[in-house]
Amino acid sequence: MKRTWLKWMPALAVPVLIASVAVAVPVAANAAVNLPTKTPSQVLALAAGEKVTALSGTLSQTSNFGLPEIPTTGADASAGSAIELLTGSHTARIFVDGSTKQRVQVLDTMAERDMVRNGSEVWLYDSKKKTAAHSTLAAGATSPPLTEGSIPTPDEFASKFLSSVDSTTVVSLGDDLRVAGRTAYNLVLTPKAGETLIGSVSIAVDSETGLPLSVEVFARSQEAPAFRVGFSTLDLGTPDASLFTFTPPAGVTVMTKTPKAQAPQTETPRNDTAKPTVSGTGWDAIVALPAGKNTARATSSPLFAQLTTSVTGGRLLRTSLINVLLTDDGRVFAGSVPLAKLQTAAAAAAATK
Amino acid sequence: MSPADRPALSNRSVLGLPLLASEISVLFRRRRTWAMLASLALIPVLIALAVRLTSSRPSTGRGPAFLDQVSQNGLFVSFVGLLVSVPLFLPLTVGVVAGDTIAGEASAGTLRYLLIAPAGRVRLLVVKYVATAVFCVAGTLAVAVSGAMIGAALFPIGPVTLLSGDSIAVGDSIVRSLLIAAYISVSLLGLSAIGLFISTMTDVPVGAMATTIVLSVVSQVLDSLPQLDWLHPWLFSHYWLGFADLSRQPILWDSFGSNLILQAGYILVFGALAFGRFTTKDILS
Repeated sequence: MKRTWLKWMPALAVPVLIASVAVAVPVAANAAVNLPTKTPSQVLALAAGEKVTALSGTLSQTSNFGLPEIPTTGADASAGSAIELLTGSHTARIFVDGSTKQRVQVLDTMAERDMVRNGSEVWLYDSKKKTAAHSTLAAGATSPPLTEGSIPTPDEFASKFLSSVDSTTVVSLGDDLRVAGRTAYNLVLTPKAGETLIGSVSIAVDSETGLPLSVEVFARSQEAPAFRVGFSTLDLGTPDASLFTFTPPAGVTVMTKTPKAQAPQTETPRNDTAKPTVSGTGWDAIVALPAGKNTARATSSPLFAQLTTSVTGGRLLRTSLINVLLTDDGRVFAGSVPLAKLQTAAAAAAATK
Repeated sequence: MSPADRPALSNRSVLGLPLLASEISVLFRRRRTWAMLASLALIPVLIALAVRLTSSRPSTGRGPAFLDQVSQNGLFVSFVGLLVSVPLFLPLTVGVVAGDTIAGEASAGTLRYLLIAPAGRVRLLVVKYVATAVFCVAGTLAVAVSGAMIGAALFPIGPVTLLSGDSIAVGDSIVRSLLIAAYISVSLLGLSAIGLFISTMTDVPVGAMATTIVLSVVSQVLDSLPQLDWLHPWLFSHYWLGFADLSRQPILWDSFGSNLILQAGYILVFGALAFGRFTTKDILS
């Protein structure tokens, strides 16, 4: 009898071993980091003085806006692409050498979208659609974003928040972190304004270079970050030069974009001549969009009826971070504010008309 | 499959190599094994013929990924073939082989003869598992090689476009195909270990085969439900389609490594369970 029990010991010991490794590895990776003490303004200065010119790394982005998730099956996960950026997670690889050589690869299931910039030459490649678009940038222009579903780098995303740090924001420091194997200061921006859905924004600032390694946006209504983008691996060496040369492969549709298409991007969808207007500043700003062709197209989709709820004066797309109100007459009001503020803004806009 | 089929075992075979050689030769002398390998090899042939015989080019975005590339480059046939076989056909054949390992011998009444030979239960378990692993490699190669051959016969061959849009020469693409075949063979090792364990629990080989195959389907269904996010990294089928990362430029090794660790975990857990079950089991047949 005793021997029988001994024979079953490995079957017991192995899961215990695996469980303890699964617990111990993340704990070891997050072992307390103790960096020299700095004040929040010193960390802000460190981030502002960031001078990383070359890097290669893997970025991961997760969104958790509290929307229902759409099942994705096997190799063909295109069904939910319309709102995939709002719910799912993405991985991208990024290679940078100086300010004019960049490559971003958004890694999709069985597909990839690439942006290759070498000097003023820019190629956008989509392996699923089998298209390659070429454009020439004006001198000094910034790289264009990939089309839909692109991932902002922590650097770009953090600068949006850091550039708008003003009296409506409290800047503090959280516990030091480890991101992608590097130690980082945890800069926490908390809005002072009472009426915003954003709880706080934490930016991991690399202790050595000042490069933002990750950005997390927390909503007031939930504990998990509503949006996170950060490096999972990072190497500050110069990437291989061959990565920045791109020749469109045989069999793809090659399009040439005129430089005009690279005009500053606005948030307005194409074909929609109406310009958005912004009311308010800082955290509780509201973006208003007049009625246009695109809103009519959006509201006719069955997904729209599923995702929105009927409220006074229109339909509401409620997420933990942003509320979007589509009024009955087709106008759009969006902002990180409660519904009542959007309704007030809609009523005020209608009154001034 | 009577014990007489097996070469005589020498007492000096401490490592069990003669036993392994005998096991593999028994496996590959079976008509069933060859039928399974042949039907696996038939998948890319059917794909290639279907693309060749229909005049209309498959439109982008319909059917399995990369199907539209087949008519331009024959080397894509083996890639599409592997992509199609991974979710069902390969687990099916591996389930048959793994489920048969112990239960098959038990139901044929040959298990006790195997254990009378100076082999020992642990060594028999290991030998059975290694033979199943050899079948995983053989099955994957059957798809990849027949795909490359039929593709070369029916379509032009040229530089292969990677997912990243870069093109690589034919030689490089063969290396990548072999890497993908290695990735898929590794992916099936966890399922083989599960099948081995189930096979020690029953004397009815069909039951063990069916259970193993059903588990592979269940794992894939669970993997497609976003509500079970926390469970996904622990499912043995989670990285099955991750071999696409080998066709990026530069190669992304992350999923290869994660897959290797995951499958090793399954081998350890179910190997230990199979050890516990098989070494304490009363062998009656």
